Amino acid sequence: MGTRTLLCGVGSLSDDLVARLRARGHLVEAVDPSLLVARTDAASAVDAAAGSLGAVDLVVHVLAGPDGPTPLVDLSTDAWVDSCEDPMVGALHLLQACRSHLGAGSRVVHVVPTSAMGGAPGFAATSTAAEGFRALNKSVARQWGADGITTAVVAVAPELLLGPAASSAGGALTGPALGRTGGADDLAGIVDALASPEAAFTTGSTIVADGGTWMAP
Amino acid sequence: MSTDRGVGLLEGRVALITGGAAGIGLGIATAMAREGAAVVLAARRIENGEPAAEALRDAGHRALCVRCDVTSRIDLESAVAATIDGFDRLDCFVHNAVGGSATPGPLEEVDDGWLGLLATTVRASFDAAQVAHPHLAAAGGSFLLLTSAAGMEGSANLPVYAMVKASQRALAKSLSREWGPDGIRVNCIAPVARTPAMERAYLANPELEERLVGRTPLRRIGEPTEDVGPVAVFLASNLARFVTGQTVVVDGGGFLGL
Repeated sequence: MGTRTLLCGVGSLSDDLVARLRARGHLVEAVDPSLLVARTDAASAVDAAAGSLGAVDLVVHVLAGPDGPTPLVDLSTDAWVDSCEDPMVGALHLLQACRSHLGAGSRVVHVVPTSAMGGAPGFAATSTAAEGFRALNKSVARQWGADGITTAVVAVAPELLLGPAASSAGGALTGPALGRTGGADDLAGIVDALASPEAAFTTGSTIVADGGTWMAP
Repeated sequence: MSTDRGVGLLEGRVALITGGAAGIGLGIATAMAREGAAVVLAARRIENGEPAAEALRDAGHRALCVRCDVTSRIDLESAVAATIDGFDRLDCFVHNAVGGSATPGPLEEVDDGWLGLLATTVRASFDAAQVAHPHLAAAGGSFLLLTSAAGMEGSANLPVYAMVKASQRALAKSLSREWGPDGIRVNCIAPVARTPAMERAYLANPELEERLVGRTPLRRIGEPTEDVGPVAVFLASNLARFVTGQTVVVDGGGFLGL
């Protein structure tokens, strides 16, 4: 039986990831992140998706971001909430709603831009949320590890999640060692590998999948 | 040498400290005042902040207290306006206040009480940054956020606290890159120090203090004024004029993950 995957995200990377994971044999049910902000809606959406899957082996939450850079001083409060606070609230609600559907061997993966670690001018709100995702992932690893549930973060090049304007916002001192920043195919391979029992002894860690740009610990 | 007077590292500077009435906020304010800064204690309860400001004035420092609930944008604007009214400039905005519920426990049991935590940390950092920016740019100043090692290593006990503290650190990094060209530096301090909240936790669980001290290489818990304050002074001073986007962990060596 294929990996039963509950995936939450919007945007082309998320859509492509769904297709690539299905091609690798995953059974994928998508949850719309806009449903996560209200706790009861999140629970209903997750219960429906998990019900279709039977159980959940893999949860993937892809942080979506804006297409254009906006300096923080020019950002409206509504835009800040949309790009920073709502995604953090949603990340919490998603995991709370998923918990009863997870068991030993299940994996939780958050996909964030590397700007979580390095910051990005013009993308402060999403980068702020992204680092919140990483800390939530680590805390969950510590809380749920005893039940055999593991977690990981996959950090990708900022432009994959934040749009082309983010390509120069990453602040890398040098370009990717592998000559390209990657895409959904690269991401799907890593996410799929993380869902394997062979990878089950890593938890709470961040895997940087940006072709070798960000190499700090 | 008396610890009541430093060497004037912040002479002529003005700092606003949220949560300045007690604990780490007051420690930072006191250390900055000793180095010559005029300090504004932004306190949710004026009855707590004013005696602290008065004590600083009695010690010969320039200090005032303003009432400020950091979840209110209007209060933050008023606090900055009062700072400019009182001392003509703002060189350092320290966002230290934290409130709301961070009750230890399983993630599944986190209820909407945590939204208060989100408001006092994440939203208040956003509002404070927007409100302070023009004044910090005019002064060539700095923005300082208080974060926590919990945000870097995750926390089994305080999962949403770890989340908000991590996010503030990322905000500091993005802002350091946005504001560097304006001459504003943005940094974080991740302290472990004796605070009223911590004292209450020790009373409830005496083993907690022993365990914390035992895992700290320097074998003690920090003091807000003597241990954390000087690091804030450094980051606010010209000594740190080429330091931005960084987190200084001030915890006696307990967390070594950076």
